[in-house]
Amino acid sequence: MLAGVLVVAQAVLIGETLGRAVHDGARLGELGPRVAWLAAVVAARAVVSWCQERYAVRAAASTVAELREALVIRATALGPRWRGSARGTRLTTLATTGLDALEPYFVRYVPQLLLTAVVTPLLVVVVLGLDWVSGLVVIVTLPLVPLFMVLVGRLTQGVAERRLASLQRLGAQLLDLVAGLPTLRAFGRAEGPRERVRALGDANRRATMGTLRIAFLSGMVLELLTTLSVAIVAVGIGLRLVDGRMDLVTGLTVLVLAPEVYLPLRQVGAQFHASTDGIAAASAAFEVLEEPLPEHGAATVDLARARLVLDDVGVAAPGRAVLAPAHISLALGPGEAVALVGPNGAGKSTAVQVVLGLVRPTRGRAVVVPTGDRDAEPVDVGALDPEAFWAQVAWVPQRPDLGAGTVREAVLGASPSADDDARLAEAARLAALDEVVASLPGGWDTRVGRGGLGLSVGQRQRVALAAALVSRRPVVVLDEPTAHLDDASEEAVVRTVRALRDEGRTVLVVAHRPALVAACDRTVEVRSALLPQAADAPAGVPA
Amino acid sequence: MSRPGRSRDPLRRAVPLLEVPWRRVVGAVTLGTLALGCAVGLAAVAAWLIARASQQPPVLVLSVATVTVRAFGVGRGTLRYVERLVSHDVALRGVVSLRTTLYARLAAGRPEAVAALREGDLLARTGADADAVGDVVVRAFVPVGVAACVSLVAVAIVGALLPEAGLALLLLLLVVGVGAPWLADRAARETERRSLQARADMTAATLDVLGDDGALAVSGALGSRLDDLRRSDRELTAATDVGARTSATSEAIQTAATGLAVVVALLLGVPAVASGRLSPEDLAVVVLTPLAAFEGVGALPAAAVQLRRSRAAAARIMALLDGAAPDPAAPQPVAVTPAAPGAPVLVARALACGWPSRPDPAVTGLDLELHEGRSLAVVGPSGVGKTTLLLTLAGLLAPAGGRLERHAEASWTAEDAHLFDTTVLENLRVARGDVTEDEALEALAAVGLGPWQAALPDGLDTVVGPGGDAVSGGERRRLLIARALVSRAPVLVLDEPAEHLDPAGADALVRMVLGLTARGRTVVLATHHRGALDAADAVLTLQGVAVAAH
Repeated sequence: MLAGVLVVAQAVLIGETLGRAVHDGARLGELGPRVAWLAAVVAARAVVSWCQERYAVRAAASTVAELREALVIRATALGPRWRGSARGTRLTTLATTGLDALEPYFVRYVPQLLLTAVVTPLLVVVVLGLDWVSGLVVIVTLPLVPLFMVLVGRLTQGVAERRLASLQRLGAQLLDLVAGLPTLRAFGRAEGPRERVRALGDANRRATMGTLRIAFLSGMVLELLTTLSVAIVAVGIGLRLVDGRMDLVTGLTVLVLAPEVYLPLRQVGAQFHASTDGIAAASAAFEVLEEPLPEHGAATVDLARARLVLDDVGVAAPGRAVLAPAHISLALGPGEAVALVGPNGAGKSTAVQVVLGLVRPTRGRAVVVPTGDRDAEPVDVGALDPEAFWAQVAWVPQRPDLGAGTVREAVLGASPSADDDARLAEAARLAALDEVVASLPGGWDTRVGRGGLGLSVGQRQRVALAAALVSRRPVVVLDEPTAHLDDASEEAVVRTVRALRDEGRTVLVVAHRPALVAACDRTVEVRSALLPQAADAPAGVPA
Repeated sequence: MSRPGRSRDPLRRAVPLLEVPWRRVVGAVTLGTLALGCAVGLAAVAAWLIARASQQPPVLVLSVATVTVRAFGVGRGTLRYVERLVSHDVALRGVVSLRTTLYARLAAGRPEAVAALREGDLLARTGADADAVGDVVVRAFVPVGVAACVSLVAVAIVGALLPEAGLALLLLLLVVGVGAPWLADRAARETERRSLQARADMTAATLDVLGDDGALAVSGALGSRLDDLRRSDRELTAATDVGARTSATSEAIQTAATGLAVVVALLLGVPAVASGRLSPEDLAVVVLTPLAAFEGVGALPAAAVQLRRSRAAAARIMALLDGAAPDPAAPQPVAVTPAAPGAPVLVARALACGWPSRPDPAVTGLDLELHEGRSLAVVGPSGVGKTTLLLTLAGLLAPAGGRLERHAEASWTAEDAHLFDTTVLENLRVARGDVTEDEALEALAAVGLGPWQAALPDGLDTVVGPGGDAVSGGERRRLLIARALVSRAPVLVLDEPAEHLDPAGADALVRMVLGLTARGRTVVLATHHRGALDAADAVLTLQGVAVAAH
C-alpha cells in the first residue's frame, strides 16, 4: 500500500514540477521544495523496495523450511511402505529440491500479485479522479490483459501439449544415446552415432522452437496490450491538451502514472512460469500433508514375555499384482532365533516390517501373544503403542547409520549404567568390534559418524551388533548384509546371534548365507505369489 | 594439439564450443534494442507530445508525434517476441553443437576416461549443464548487449537536448548497470558459499529420514535426525538471509537511480529552460525519458547470476573434456599383437595397473597367463582395484608398469553398462551391426534367456530399456552378457556381472558366465560373490597392493 502511495506521490510531484516549469516557466528557486520532496519520495521508494526484497526472501526461505519439516514428519508417520511407493519417491525429490521452486514464487510472484490486488485499484482510482477519460481507457484495457492471456493459453494448450510430448520423446532418445556412450565405446562403435546425436539435437531444437513460438505468444499479447494502452492514454491526453480541455500538470501526472498502472500486472505475467512451478510444488506438498495417517493403538506388552506371531500374512506389493510376502506364518519367542530366507523381492524385509507394525498386512494377522498370563489375549500389532513397542526392539540394519558421537556412545546408547564396562568388552569381543576399536586412533573415545571418522559399512555393522548385545531390548532384528561381507564379519554375525538367543532374547534374522541360517533354530521360507484376483484384495494398500 | 591452460575461465573455453553464429546474436541484440527502444521512444515522444500540446499549437503539428507514439506502442511487444525467438534459436543451436562436440570428443577421447564414466554424470553434463551453458546467450549475452545499446539510445536522446543531463543519465546508468549486477553476483556467491554445507546436510538428513525402512523409527534415532534437519534448514535460511541483504541493495539501487535521474534532470533542465538553452517541451523529454531508460539495465543482475551459473556448468563440462582429451605423451593402452598358435591370449609380467591421475598403482607385481577358452575370476574387497585391472586387461587403460601382451580382441562390459531404449535385437546389434536373428536367439539361449525371449510379446522385436518393457535385474544382466557374446571379440571382460542380485541368483549367473568357455570364449570377470568360484579355471585374489593367485 505504501508502495502505491509513493508511486502516486512521485507521479504527482513530477507532474507538478515539470508542468509548472514547462507551462509557467517557473524557476528552480520556486520549484526547490517540490524537487526536495521528490528526492525524499525517491529515497523512500528505494527503502521500500529494499525491505520488500529482503523480507520476501527471508519469509520464503523459512516457509520452505517449515514446509519441508512438515513433509518429512508426515512421511515418517505414513510409514516405510508409503515412503517406498511412487508417491514417496516423488516426495524425496520434492523435499530436497522441488520445494526450491517455491522461492521465486514467494519472492517474485506473490508480492507482485499482492501489489496488483492493492496498488493497481488505487492507481486506477487516482487516474480516474485526475482524468476520467484516461481512467476509462485503463479500466477497459486492464481486464483485457488477463482475458487475452487466458484466451491465448486456451487456444495454444492442445498444440503445446502435443509438442511437449514429442519434445520429451526426442529428449529421451537423445539422452539414451548419450548415456550409452561408454557402452558403444566399449564395442568400438561410438563414432557412428555422432551424426545421429546432431540430428536428434536438431530435431529437438526445432520441436522446442515450435513450443516457444506458442509459449511466447502470451508474453507478446501482454506487452502489446500494456504498451499500446499507455500510447493511447498519451495520445488522448495530447489531443485534449490541444483543445484546452485539460491542464498540463494533470496530463503529465497521468502520463507518468499510466505505465505504473500496468507494471504490477506485467510483472505478474512475467513471473507466471515461476508461479506454475511454485503452485505445482505447493499442491504436491499439500497432497502429502493431507494423506490419511495409519491409526495406532495404545496397548503395551512386555516383549520379554511375549511371542511375535504372523498368521498367514500377505502384503500386496505396491504397483504390482503380487503378494510379497505371501502366506507367511511364523511364531517366535524369547530364547529363539528364526531365520527368514528367500530370493530377492520375496518380501523378507516386508515381513520384518509387518512384525514390527511398520507395515500393515493386506491379509492375515500380525499379533503379539503375551506368554506370562494364560488368559492373555493376542494383541494386534496395530493396536500397540508404537513408541513403547519399538523401545523394546533393537534393529541391526544392512547399512547401519551412526549418529554423531564416540564409538562408546554409539554402542552404549544415551544412558550408560554401572556394569556396562564388562558388558561392553564382552559385546565387543563377540561382535569383533574390539579389533576395529584397537585400530582407531582414539580407541573407544574416537568420534565416529557425522563430523567424525568415517567407518566402513562392515565396521558400522559391528558397532550395531555390539549395540544390540549391550542393549537390554528383548527383541533383536538383524538384517544380514548381502554384499561386501568377509568371512570374519560373517563369524561375528553368527556369534552375536547365538549369544543373543542364549541370553533369552527373541531374534529374527533376515539371512542370506548358509552359516547364519544354520545358527538359527528355525527357518521360515518367504515367497511371493501373484495376486489371484484383484477382487480379493482391498482397493488400496494400507500403509 | 596444444592444450588450453586450465587456469582459463571455463566459460570462455566452453562458449566457442557452442559455435554461436554471432551475426544472429547481433540480430537478436538489435531486435531487443529496438523493442526496448520503443519503450524509451514512447516515453520521450509522449513527453514531447504532451508538453507541446499544452502550448495549443495546430493539431497537424502533433500528427507525426501521435502516429509515432502509437507505432512505438505496437512495436515493443512484437519486436520483443521476434527477439526472444531469435535468441532462443541461437542458444538451442549452441546447445546442439556443444552436445555433439561433447559426444564426439568423448567418443574419440581416452578410452579409460570414458569407460569410467557414470551414466548419471554423463547425463548431467550433456543435459542440464549443456543447457545452462547455452542459456548464457539468452540470459546474459543478449540482455547485456540490449542494455548497453538501449542505454546509449536514451543517453543520446537526452544528451542531444541537454548534454549535461545526458552525462548525468549515463553516469547513473553505469552505476546501476555495473553496481547492481556486481551486488547480485556477490549475493549469489555469498549465499552459495554459506549454504553449500547446510544444503548438503539438509539433503542428507532428508534422505536418511525418507529412505528409512523403519530402522531409524524403531531405534528412536528419528528425533535426532529431525533435529539435524531443523538445524541445517535454520543455517540454510540464515545463509539465504545474508545473500538477500545484498540482493535487496541491488534492487534498491535501481529504484533509487531511476528517481534520481528524474531529480537530476529537473535540477539541470529547469535552469536551462530559464536561460533559453532548452525549449520547455524538450524539458519534458529530458525529465521523463529516464523513467523508461532503466529497464534495459534492470535485467543485468539476473544476467550476472546466470553468468555465474553457466560458468559453474562450463567448469564441469570442461573438466570432463579435459579428463577425456587424448594425451599423446601419456602411455597408451596395450594393442593386440598376433601370437604363435597355442600361446596364451593374455600374458602379464610384473604388471602394475593404476589410473594416470592417481600417484600409486592399485595393483602391482601381477604375473598372469590366460589361454584361449579359459576363465579367470578376479575377487577381492571393493576398492581394491578389480575394475582397474580389468580395464587394463581389456586394453582400455595403459599399464602403470610391467609388461602386458594381448593377443586377442576383448569386449568390455561395465557394471552399469547401458541397455538402449530399443528392441532386444537392436540392443544385441550394438556389439556387432550384422547380428542375425538366429545368432541373437543362440546368444540369448546361451545366457539362459531362451524361455524369457519366447515369452516376450514381440520376441526379438520387443522394446526393452528405460522406455520399454521392464526387465528384471537378472534378465538385464544376462542380456548384457548376451551382447558381449555376439561381439567378435574372443575375450569377454565383465565387471561385477552379478551385482545387485541375491546370492543364489548371483551364483547361478557367475557360473553361467564362467561356463561360456565351453563356447570357446575366454572369460575374465570381477566379482565379490565367492559362491561360484569353483567353476573358474583360475581365481585371482586382490588384497590391497599384494596379489595372491591360486
